[in-house]
Amino acid sequence: MTSPPRRYPDYDVLDKRDSPSWDDITRHVVAGRLNPPERQFFDDALWDVLIALCDTIMPQPDRDRPIAIWIDAALAQNRTTGTRYDNLPPMREAWKRGLAALEAEARLCHGRPFHDLAQDAREALLKAIDREEVAAPEWNDLPPRRMFREVLANEIVRVYYSHPDAWSEIGFGGPASPRGYVRLGPNRRDPWEAEESAATRRSAEP
Amino acid sequence: MISQGSEIRAKDGRAPDVFSRDGWVAMRQYREAEEVDVAVIGTGAGGGVVAAKLAEAGLSVVAFDAGAFYRPLADFASDEREQDKLYWTDDRISGGDDAIEMGSNNSGRAIGGSTVHFQMVALRFRPEWFQARSRLGYGRDWPVDWREMWRCYDEVEDALKIAGPVTYPWGPKRGRYPYRQHELNASAQVLARGAEAMGVDWSPCPISTVSAPRGKSPPCVYRGFCKIGCSTNAKQSILNTYIPRALAAGAEVRDLAMVGRIETGSDGRATGVHYHRDGEWRFQKARRVVVAGYSIETPRLLLNSSSPSHPQGLANAEGLVGTELMVHSNHAVWGVMEDEIRWYKGPPSMAVCEHWNYDDDKDFHGGYAFMSQGPLPTDFATSMVKNLGVFGMELRRRMALYNHMAGLKIVGEVMPTPANRVELSEETDALGLPLPRITFRFGENDRKLSDHALRFMRTMHEAAGARDIFETAGSAHLMGGCRMGFSAADGVVDGAGRAFSCPNLWIADGSVMPTGGGVNPSITIMANATRIAGHMIGAIARGEG
Amino acid sequence: MTSFAPPRERSPLAGAATALALAGLVGAGLWAARRPQPRPQPGSALPVETARQPAARRARQGGMLLAASAAIDGATEHYRGGFHRWEMYLGPAASIGALAASAMQAAMPRPLREGLLLTAAGVGLAGHAFHARNILDRPGGVCWSNLFYAAPIGAPGSVALAGLAGLAATMLERREPEMPHRRGRWIAIGTVAGLLGTTAEVALLHFRGAYHNPAMYIPVTLPPIAALTLGAAAARPSPTRLRLAHRMLGATAMMGLVGTAFHAWGVHRNMGGWRNWQQNLLVAPPLPAPPGFTGVALVGLAAIDLLEASE
Repeated sequence: MTSPPRRYPDYDVLDKRDSPSWDDITRHVVAGRLNPPERQFFDDALWDVLIALCDTIMPQPDRDRPIAIWIDAALAQNRTTGTRYDNLPPMREAWKRGLAALEAEARLCHGRPFHDLAQDAREALLKAIDREEVAAPEWNDLPPRRMFREVLANEIVRVYYSHPDAWSEIGFGGPASPRGYVRLGPNRRDPWEAEESAATRRSAEP
Repeated sequence: MISQGSEIRAKDGRAPDVFSRDGWVAMRQYREAEEVDVAVIGTGAGGGVVAAKLAEAGLSVVAFDAGAFYRPLADFASDEREQDKLYWTDDRISGGDDAIEMGSNNSGRAIGGSTVHFQMVALRFRPEWFQARSRLGYGRDWPVDWREMWRCYDEVEDALKIAGPVTYPWGPKRGRYPYRQHELNASAQVLARGAEAMGVDWSPCPISTVSAPRGKSPPCVYRGFCKIGCSTNAKQSILNTYIPRALAAGAEVRDLAMVGRIETGSDGRATGVHYHRDGEWRFQKARRVVVAGYSIETPRLLLNSSSPSHPQGLANAEGLVGTELMVHSNHAVWGVMEDEIRWYKGPPSMAVCEHWNYDDDKDFHGGYAFMSQGPLPTDFATSMVKNLGVFGMELRRRMALYNHMAGLKIVGEVMPTPANRVELSEETDALGLPLPRITFRFGENDRKLSDHALRFMRTMHEAAGARDIFETAGSAHLMGGCRMGFSAADGVVDGAGRAFSCPNLWIADGSVMPTGGGVNPSITIMANATRIAGHMIGAIARGEG
Repeated sequence: MTSFAPPRERSPLAGAATALALAGLVGAGLWAARRPQPRPQPGSALPVETARQPAARRARQGGMLLAASAAIDGATEHYRGGFHRWEMYLGPAASIGALAASAMQAAMPRPLREGLLLTAAGVGLAGHAFHARNILDRPGGVCWSNLFYAAPIGAPGSVALAGLAGLAATMLERREPEMPHRRGRWIAIGTVAGLLGTTAEVALLHFRGAYHNPAMYIPVTLPPIAALTLGAAAARPSPTRLRLAHRMLGATAMMGLVGTAFHAWGVHRNMGGWRNWQQNLLVAPPLPAPPGFTGVALVGLAAIDLLEASE
């Protein structure tokens, strides 16, 4: 597994923490983001599945920022999104049943727990689920694709891209208040924005 | 981490000063046993306007909102996850073939409602849309004269000091916007180049954030977090325009006050509202009630307010409450640009093309506008996950191109259909109120429209230089559910917003819109609320209210 | 797909602004191009001799202020534009050259001095072309968006004015004017054009700011009135007219200085105020711009001095 190209090698959004780009509330919120809480919601069995799932959906060979613990924290608070699809159970139950079904699918297809599978086997399994090709009875009436995209992957990706390291990775300006931006046109950046490396700029390819 | 939003602030004769970090303004308060002139439920685009207008007309007003009373300067972080606190995230059951995603993209929960996190696009309806059925052959006519709406748009645009282009290419001649257009960001310039290549008009988008100082609002600093709450007060939302006006005129605003039921007497008239605040159910007496909870909560509240005189739910004698719920189709094309775009800078939609709202040479009813885009990272990443199913290193590689992306997204008109609706489910929430159940499906015309839009925008995006184009589908906004009509059989409320089957009940939010149009609805909701407030004041003055 | 012509927002105001600015520059340029009289007139009247010194001093001060204003404003704005092409260094550099020429006076060899001032005049004129191209290159071409936010079409004029004012000062210092009223009249014409051109640019930018503060109307009303009175005085000088023009130009000069205070207040009113100076010095009202009016007004006062002397 290769890391994505480092387009902004000299950029760390946290360097701006004490600049006018950050205000007090943002400093407070992001400081909290860097200090994960204790696990409260998931039991050990589902926790292993969740950790492996996070590693598959947002692989981090180049770093190790916690994702699963924030999902645990959100579910402990019963934090919801506002949408309960009528073919999905409430959020807490959806996560438990979704992870259990994933684990059952792994054992059924490979005879091994999900977290024991190699990365490409895990990816293949998730892609099958996304195609709604599932066999484990644990899925019951759960819609596999909706479960995968709207619940599991959605939240994992959300957590990943709410970490300052992810902002630095993609060259996002990050917090910006009271100081915003002056140079708005194409190929223009302010001194406090990420500078793209010349090598990757020449190859704006996916 | 919800660090703000759980403390009641509007009490003890004062309310938060939204232009300060920790200051207060004086607030008049009313006793619950005192029968106030008007109870307003909801303080968003509809309720906020009505509360201010009625209070300024000298009426005693108490406005309720389930959400918290924020001070943007101190409470709004530059952080997507934190700002989830602005959304209505209580469970709503969503079903149907094209189940609507609720929460962030259509429902706010704060004093100021969804305007606290709206995208600030301030486009007027095309005049013909108010007579869509008789002049364009689809949907419904509004029991409203478009010229009256035009005057109300003028008033609202001035109240929000909309920053718009000096000349607007579409629609009837109109006065100049109160503030000048903003500088176009790179993302908007992509739309402009594409439009010029296609030979269609484009325009800087009129938006509700000031381009020069206004009172205590500084001009926009182009920080780009508009959709998760403006922390500088440059955005002109209901929270920092109409709410301060309402308070100054003597209205009381009750934050974190969830209205669960409207009480009616044996004569069928509303007598007051039951609301939950500070851990208990309470009751406020009122001579009149205005409901402005938007297209889910308004029907939910009316349906939950059945009584012997309104056995099917309040104002639901004809069974119309909750029907013809609409969204806007929100499909988009995205592509990679050679240039660095850095679309996180500036308001997300700074350029607009309304060509297909005003050109009727097309194979579907209704129209659509499309705007340049600037989604924040998790918003963009999750839209790729949900639409394309990408994950893993593939997702990280795509996200690494974040600063080279540009997109075009529509606000597409969706036809009103009875089967798309809001009902009450068997399940109840923590307060014991029945959860809303939403059913939605795009119709054939809706699909034709979004197909047309995707085709056109893909061609245009390519012409602007975009590569590796992909499409996403989605919905945004809510309209309808308690539509205005010409008679009791035709609508829940009349053209003045008054319920046909309850003479002292008004509805003044987006739920009364009989059609959705092809533009973002906020400013139309505000203009219509301005109109309804005017009719209410007139009726009350004549002793008819 | 139905085909539509690309939109072109025609803007009368901006057109007028450009025309005025160019007219001003052409007028001033004609004056500058005029060859000085080859022979001094030793028998000139005494009052002219006494008027020459203050007139030269004022013109020189005006030129210095204009040059300083153009240098700082141009450098700031071009920094905002990221100096993304090398020509963007020319405007500020030429302004600094003009400033040095006017400030150092006799300490600088005359050919170098006049060369620097002529260069500033030329660079300013060429700047209009560059700015026009910047406008035309953007989507929309000549439309309000680009007149507001692309390279400002009128701004390079201040560089040209700085050069021309300095040249006027050097000529006044050099020799007795053969016919002071004629020289005074030429300087008055240049001043009128400079005032109107500057007003046009301010009108555009204050319009962009929606005239949100009533004080923003002052710099679009007072300078044209001053220009009118100066024009009247130059056309048919009389003590009353000269006195009136003198007062109005004095008021315009004051306004330029007070304007900077208003603009400083503007910086404070932007988000983050002075603490966010990295952003606000670039996007808030420009601090160095208003003294440009003071500079032009001082040159106008020099014209009055000459006209008074010949009265």
